[in-house]
Amino acid sequence: MTPAALSQSILASLPEIVVVGGACILLILGQFVRKGQGALLVCGSVAIVLIAALATLMLAGEGRPAYAGMFIADRFAVFFKVLFYLTTVLTFLLSRKYAEIEEIESSEYYVLLLFALSGMMIMASATDLISIYVGLELMVLCTYVLTGFLRRERRSNEAALKYVILGAVSTGIFLYGASLVYGLTGTTQLDGMAAAATGDRLDPGLLLAVVFIVAGLVFKVGAVPFHMWVPDVYEGAPTTITAFMSVGPKAAGFAVILRVFLNPLVAASHAWVIVAVIAVVTMALGSFVALVQDNFKRLLAYSSIAHAGFALFGVVAGSADGISGVMLYLLIYTFMNLGIFGIVIMMRNGDFSGEVIEDYAGFAKSHRALALLMLLYLFSLAGIPPTAGFFAKFYVLVALVERGFVTLAVIAVLLSAVAAYFYIRIVMVIYMREPDGAFDPVLTPAVRATLALTAAATIGIGLFPAWFLKLAHLSAMAAGR
Amino acid sequence: MASLPLLSLIVFLPAAGAAVLMLLRSDDAVRWTALGVTVLDFALCLAMLAGFDTTTHELQFTEARPWVPALGITYALGVDGISALFVFLTGLLGWICVLASWVAIDRKVKEFMISLLAMQALMLGVFCALNLFLFYVCWEAMLIPMYVIIGVWGGDGRVYAAFKFFLYTLVGSLLFLIGIIVLYLHGGTFDILVLTQQHLPFRVQSWLFFAFLIAFAVKVPMVPVHTWLPDAHVQAPTAGSIILAAVLLKMGAYGFLRFSLPMLPAASAHYSTLMLTLSALAIVYGGLLALAQDDLKKLVAYSSISHMGLVTLGIFALNRRGLEGGILQMFNHGVTTGALFLFVGLIYERTHTRSIADYGGLMKAAPVYTTFLALFTLSSMALPGTNSFVGELLVLTGGFAANLAVGAAAVLGALLGAAYLLGMYRKVALGPASVSARFKIRDVNARELAAILPLAVLVLWVGLYPKPFLGIIDASVKHLLAQVYAEGRGQ
Repeated sequence: MTPAALSQSILASLPEIVVVGGACILLILGQFVRKGQGALLVCGSVAIVLIAALATLMLAGEGRPAYAGMFIADRFAVFFKVLFYLTTVLTFLLSRKYAEIEEIESSEYYVLLLFALSGMMIMASATDLISIYVGLELMVLCTYVLTGFLRRERRSNEAALKYVILGAVSTGIFLYGASLVYGLTGTTQLDGMAAAATGDRLDPGLLLAVVFIVAGLVFKVGAVPFHMWVPDVYEGAPTTITAFMSVGPKAAGFAVILRVFLNPLVAASHAWVIVAVIAVVTMALGSFVALVQDNFKRLLAYSSIAHAGFALFGVVAGSADGISGVMLYLLIYTFMNLGIFGIVIMMRNGDFSGEVIEDYAGFAKSHRALALLMLLYLFSLAGIPPTAGFFAKFYVLVALVERGFVTLAVIAVLLSAVAAYFYIRIVMVIYMREPDGAFDPVLTPAVRATLALTAAATIGIGLFPAWFLKLAHLSAMAAGR
Repeated sequence: MASLPLLSLIVFLPAAGAAVLMLLRSDDAVRWTALGVTVLDFALCLAMLAGFDTTTHELQFTEARPWVPALGITYALGVDGISALFVFLTGLLGWICVLASWVAIDRKVKEFMISLLAMQALMLGVFCALNLFLFYVCWEAMLIPMYVIIGVWGGDGRVYAAFKFFLYTLVGSLLFLIGIIVLYLHGGTFDILVLTQQHLPFRVQSWLFFAFLIAFAVKVPMVPVHTWLPDAHVQAPTAGSIILAAVLLKMGAYGFLRFSLPMLPAASAHYSTLMLTLSALAIVYGGLLALAQDDLKKLVAYSSISHMGLVTLGIFALNRRGLEGGILQMFNHGVTTGALFLFVGLIYERTHTRSIADYGGLMKAAPVYTTFLALFTLSSMALPGTNSFVGELLVLTGGFAANLAVGAAAVLGALLGAAYLLGMYRKVALGPASVSARFKIRDVNARELAAILPLAVLVLWVGLYPKPFLGIIDASVKHLLAQVYAEGRGQ
């Protein structure tokens, strides 16, 4: 690699370098931060993310391939990276008080989140199966540890163990697919794979490889049949990490899925049929099982499975509209889901966990404004206009019908009616029941800011989707090349 | 006139009012502000009617701004004769609902009035929207305040009723959404005017017709998807029942008029017999159910199913008399049934029972109340001189012209109506006063009278001199029929 190419590569991956470097520095400096000074850690972490964001936006102008075709900084990646920054910063803001209450205040918590962030960023930029793998592993290894961060709680340990074992299996499947691709085509680069697909009949071996790769990726977004870990891990992990995982790593998984699915090799293998089946089953399972949940975190886990299913419909639709549909969906989902998790996190105080749906009985009586916010997030998750959640679904449906998949659209719509049922059930508990006890939500300024931002976005994107739609569309075009 | 966005003002005034209410503290300030906002909104509606040109079917007071240009979504408002009538009705009922909940709602007054005003803004949005997307957003968003109104301030079974209402309408609307997307992909726009001018293949029209039918039939509601209505009505607070009966049920019929007929003329003509049959079924079945009720509110709710059947019958008779009658009957049903729910609410506030058997001889205790009740009961029965007579006569003549058997069923429905309404009035108002004597019943006070009087005036006005009302819709109806027949019957 010539010095010029190297400096080009370093420039293209500057945001990643900032995050990784910053995390390393924070790891060392964090040892000197005493208990009760968590605010310093939060400020430091947020500063690192902001610098990375600045670098990302400065590089956003053009597509920059780097590291001999393993990595690219294009608009598609920028879109996802901004989404990851948002997720991470909001998680930091939500974490501070929660970490204090749960006594998990240590600098490692923030450092691991930063490393997970860098993993996600690499995934968004990766154009080679190997770099995808590196990003993926970096991200999931951090989330494994974070899931088990409540060391004294059994279910947290159990969740982490489950996550590690299942995650390792799925990684193995992915690697197996990648090795098959390498064996058959002699390359692991997505571009190289595309060249292999020019023949008119697809090698059955390649088809198998694609299926393995898809299976490995589908695990990360929690789609059927690799969804079993989601409820347990979501329930066991610290709620802040659950919030993070439900949005960030999932979006990263989708970033890779979209990139891989734009590949002619995958397009030629009719993998979309598989994805369509996965999407339907995922959405059905997520929606129906969520109906009977009493634990809020588990319910949100199943709801996130259902939402992954809906986003997969956008992948099925394929076209530029479908891809930008998925991207917009993920952006909107980030806001509304972090909003609802923000409320769950805020409820954790003293003996009160805020994890059981019954905990919210009569919430509207004591905290009108917060109840109204919950109403907003829940209706948005259910996809009722004029909230952003509606527009997210709407655009995916447009892409589906455009491609002629009207039956799929009808199925998606009916299943989202099922999903609406359990969101509305929570609204009912909040508004139509008598309170059992007094609430004392932890409303620090940081939590307030998070809730305000997510609420503003949930309404704002719903009312004025034009700009966000254009953004998603432009970013999708960049990946389509 | 063009410079002033009158329709935007009408739609957004209640929304702005709701925002102001959030800042207020005292319940009385909330009530008076809500009343002020709705009265002002009504004044704007009257101003709109005053400037309305009845000689043309063209859309008036139109305004359009880009909203999501990439998808051809605009913020476009405008009214023709049909929607103008319902904008007026919605504006009128807005402040009547505020008055009806003045003392009936005694907890969380602020939240209630906010929901009420939000509802008002969205309903007006539905009637004014000229863009399918905008229409759908308003149509669907109405579910939220209505769900909250029924679920929070309703009776004992409110949670179940609110759920049922929400799910029924949601499932219906979602298929409508797919239909809208299909229409968009065929026409390349969400603009309602453009979409009415394209000619879709019959097969596509058929599919869309049924997708729309499910959504509209749930809202009307038509048999067999009517079962949410009695539950919702019985559990909802008075203002909720009034909104449901007077405006929300009109949305379905309005959908037929605005989308099914002009956009899918061939399918509408082809399936008109089916629709007439369903309408006749609703008329007779709803009437029979009403006959069997002992609960005042349920009786009025089931009578709504029967009367709305008359509306759809008029619409799908697909002739001028039928259509005019159907539309006028929509308006009349809004006035009369809205008033009847108001009356049920008034008496319920005093006695806390809705069982007809608990009443009797109210005439002595509350003469003004029973006099007006008589007027609205007679109006609901379509006695000559009242508003419903004009509408029903038109619907019946149109219905008989379209299909003899269906017309006969409609007459049977009218007979049933006389039976249950007269029976109800006899048991409640006449007879020995001993039964209801155990309640201390005051007669209506000035505030309640203020809510009743405009409705009573409308009953007689439309009944004795319907010309101005028919005049508003006349040009639009002719145009609508021309649209249907340009393509419809030919196929």
